[in-house]
Amino acid sequence: MNLKFRVVSIIMGAALLAGASAAGASAAGAPVAAGVPAATATAAPAAAPAETPAAATPDFKTLDQEVQGVKKDVIELNKDLFVLEEELLFPANTQVAVYVSMDVGTFFALDSVTVKIDNKEVKNYLYTAREADALLKGGVQQIYLGNLKVGKHELVAFFTGKGPMEREYKRGATINFTKGVGAKYLELKITDKVSKHQPEFTIKDWE
Amino acid sequence: MRRALPLAGLIVGAAWAASSMAAVPTMVGKDAPDFVLKTLAGSNLRLSEFRGQVVLLNFWARWAGDSRQEMLVLDKINATYARAGLVVLGVSVDEDLRRAREFADAMKVTYPVMFDTGGSSTGKGYLLEKMPMTILIDRSGVVRYSHVGFKTGDDRIYLEKIRELLRE
Repeated sequence: MNLKFRVVSIIMGAALLAGASAAGASAAGAPVAAGVPAATATAAPAAAPAETPAAATPDFKTLDQEVQGVKKDVIELNKDLFVLEEELLFPANTQVAVYVSMDVGTFFALDSVTVKIDNKEVKNYLYTAREADALLKGGVQQIYLGNLKVGKHELVAFFTGKGPMEREYKRGATINFTKGVGAKYLELKITDKVSKHQPEFTIKDWE
Repeated sequence: MRRALPLAGLIVGAAWAASSMAAVPTMVGKDAPDFVLKTLAGSNLRLSEFRGQVVLLNFWARWAGDSRQEMLVLDKINATYARAGLVVLGVSVDEDLRRAREFADAMKVTYPVMFDTGGSSTGKGYLLEKMPMTILIDRSGVVRYSHVGFKTGDDRIYLEKIRELLRE
């Protein structure tokens, strides 16, 4: 019900926006088509500056403000559509999202992560230097978003990169989790284990 | 009647050739598909990270004779135009990664060379026809020029297009 209401409101928003942009377009086109009878009330003030250049600035300022407003609405609408799309494609009762985070990273330079769910590879991600750097600075990446049935599942993650002494490093981490009726969030964490001078790979289940 | 038959055949043949030429799909005017590949140096490069720069993407294969000649030319172009905002990227589509690496290593080009092997679909996204193939991508990430094969003098066409895109 809530979803239906949001769909309707987004469609209405889009329709209003289309109307507003059409009015804006006619206003913008007004100086050229000043004699066209189709010019609306909104277009009229914009048409005036062609005749009186002195009064041009405030009207154009208003038009500019309108355009900026429309742009802002488009961004808002785009955001709503994105959220809606995600809700439709990955409903909460089947949604599973996997994130990657990295803390410190002195003992490990990340190269790639492979995610397997129930023995099926769902994601293989190669990291560029910039992306690895963003993770080191505290960024969290959503590496996978998908759907899973309610019940027990297994997630295996393989991490490759350069370990201590610039050595090729490949490690795995496994988690057995139960998917309930709500969305499931899992975090692949790469941390430094200072006592062992080794990186540590863990998977956290965000209940 | 005897004359008319070969003539009709010719017309049909020409029409078929024209239609088949027109049907060749091209990426020009479309957004360049993003990809991330491993380079010869071992790092990973993502195409979208070069947004804002003009990118020359060269797909090559060890078995394509023109690739060697073209890579040397592209290395010179890279040396001259890198400072002006041009990024030259080489992508090998060889099946044999080890031999492709050896080939790339021997060429000693200064621009990054990547490997599209192991089932990666980078080449498919660019509708590769024949090797080598060169793609020019503008600063906003749109494919602006596509060139199949390489022969002496083609570098002049590349330079013309590169200068045009760098000026934008």
